[in-house]
Amino acid sequence: MQGLNAVALAALLFLISIGLTLIFGIMRIVNFAHGALYMLGAYAGFTIAAWTGSYGLALALAPLAVAAIGIVLEAVVLRPLYRREHGAFLLVTFGLALVIGEAIRLGWGPDPRRLPIPPALAGSVTILGAPFPTYRLFLAVTGAVVAVALWQFLARTRLGLLIRATSQNAEMVHALGVDVQVVRAGVFGLGCGLAALGGVMATPLVSAHLGMGVNVVVDAFVIVIIGGMGSFGGSIVGSLLVGLVQTFGNFYLPDLALAAIYLTMIAVLVLRPRGLFGHEE
Amino acid sequence: MARTALRAVLLVAAAVAPLVLPTFLLTALTEMVILGLFAMSLDLLVGYTGLDSFGHAAVYGFGAYSAALLLLHTGVSLPVAILGGAVFTAAIAVPMAWLCTRATGVAFAMLTLAFAQLLYAVAYKWQSVTGGSDGLAGVPRTAGPLGMSWFTSKIGYYYLAAGCLIAAYLFCRAFVASAVGTTLLAIRDNERKAQALGYNPRAYKILVFVLSAFLGGLAGALYAPFAGFASPDLFFWVLSGQVLIMVVVGGAGTLSGPILGAAFFLALEHYLSVFTDSWALVLGLVFIAVVLFAPQGLWGMVRGRAVP
Repeated sequence: MQGLNAVALAALLFLISIGLTLIFGIMRIVNFAHGALYMLGAYAGFTIAAWTGSYGLALALAPLAVAAIGIVLEAVVLRPLYRREHGAFLLVTFGLALVIGEAIRLGWGPDPRRLPIPPALAGSVTILGAPFPTYRLFLAVTGAVVAVALWQFLARTRLGLLIRATSQNAEMVHALGVDVQVVRAGVFGLGCGLAALGGVMATPLVSAHLGMGVNVVVDAFVIVIIGGMGSFGGSIVGSLLVGLVQTFGNFYLPDLALAAIYLTMIAVLVLRPRGLFGHEE
Repeated sequence: MARTALRAVLLVAAAVAPLVLPTFLLTALTEMVILGLFAMSLDLLVGYTGLDSFGHAAVYGFGAYSAALLLLHTGVSLPVAILGGAVFTAAIAVPMAWLCTRATGVAFAMLTLAFAQLLYAVAYKWQSVTGGSDGLAGVPRTAGPLGMSWFTSKIGYYYLAAGCLIAAYLFCRAFVASAVGTTLLAIRDNERKAQALGYNPRAYKILVFVLSAFLGGLAGALYAPFAGFASPDLFFWVLSGQVLIMVVVGGAGTLSGPILGAAFFLALEHYLSVFTDSWALVLGLVFIAVVLFAPQGLWGMVRGRAVP
């Protein structure tokens, strides 16, 4: 039972951390604004659902809107920095996180926004003789579907090949006549869209609130570090590990739960500084 | 020559300021001094060694809580508590430095962040010692013997903090110019080359990490009796980010830059918050603009050349 809850939480965390992993793995950018974009997705999803009355539309449109914003941000703020050292990205995306967070506070106000669980996904289903909330099952399934789809996309399609090639050697890809800039913008947009999808999916559980981006970005970074920066499989394993530690921590050791994931991360890094599936840079 | 004159003017201004300023400006000035010290301590890592710490609030919070606990429970005098806070912070920084320096680059940044969040979690949960989410309130400025009661006044406390900042500045100036300091620059610019030359980069990183923690802890220890409280927010990553902003906006890789950056940050915050609720929005935009267009920071622009 707790195990399934852990998987549901892991699926949510995976959606957020895989965006970070993509952006880091392919663009070598540590996107500190990722939590803010997740939060933006949550608020946008709330508003779309409130206007249209459809959670499905929110689920489809909010990630698209945030992906579009991500593409604009990439062009305006990140593109001038590709020639500079990596620290500049860390700093500029931190600035973005501040700006987006404040913009949300201005736009939606300080009160949390609650989105009910859509009726079709309310209630519970019986799994192995025990009732399990349908919405959490939906989270777990969506996480799994996104993981498989992304993996297939990157491993099997021509575009996926192009993206992987860009991460290996952007200059070579450019020399072969591919507009590397478009690839980068697309990847950043995709990562931001995934964060937003996570935001929309989290809203029925935690409500859209101003602290959510902060909490989640740190969790997502912990996962990416545990798994190994830029590793797809590491993101999955890291999400599951953090999901398990958090769920069981909350259940058995509530006082330690907050600290447990950081301790997990420190323990992993002591054993393997590059993370579980990390390669040497 | 002009530099010496400028320094003299600044010193005299700093010495006279508390005697002429109204109380609220004196309070703001003291805060600038404390955060300036905090920012300068971070720049030893970021600017001089190329270690992007995202969790420097860890040492600020630890210094603050240590000093607050000393003042609340032991009855030691103010300077002893402040120095004690700094020493405790340096001590806790030794294992932190040992662990964090195992990683490089982004992983280092995230490990420091994780440590700060870990301490945040501890401060939040260990209620019997830390007061939980309320923090420790009513931290006294306990006077010691030998007429130290003078430090407990607002003006006296300003001089105490300013004295710490000046002493730390002079120490850091000598430190970065020393053989150890130039080795740090070599590690920043090319770690492998430094290693090939026979240096042990990790040992140097641990050393500068602990020194930076001592000074950052000193700043935190100054803050707790100044504000009269210590709260978990002092460990929070937002503060780590803000102090990084101070360093970068002021000018990483210089000692005066971060102090200037802290003053600029606080001035902007106070000034903007009069006009608008969303001062953080403006601050974020200013910060992004500095990273994009003035990577050497304000002080770098003033000096008209890039950071060495």
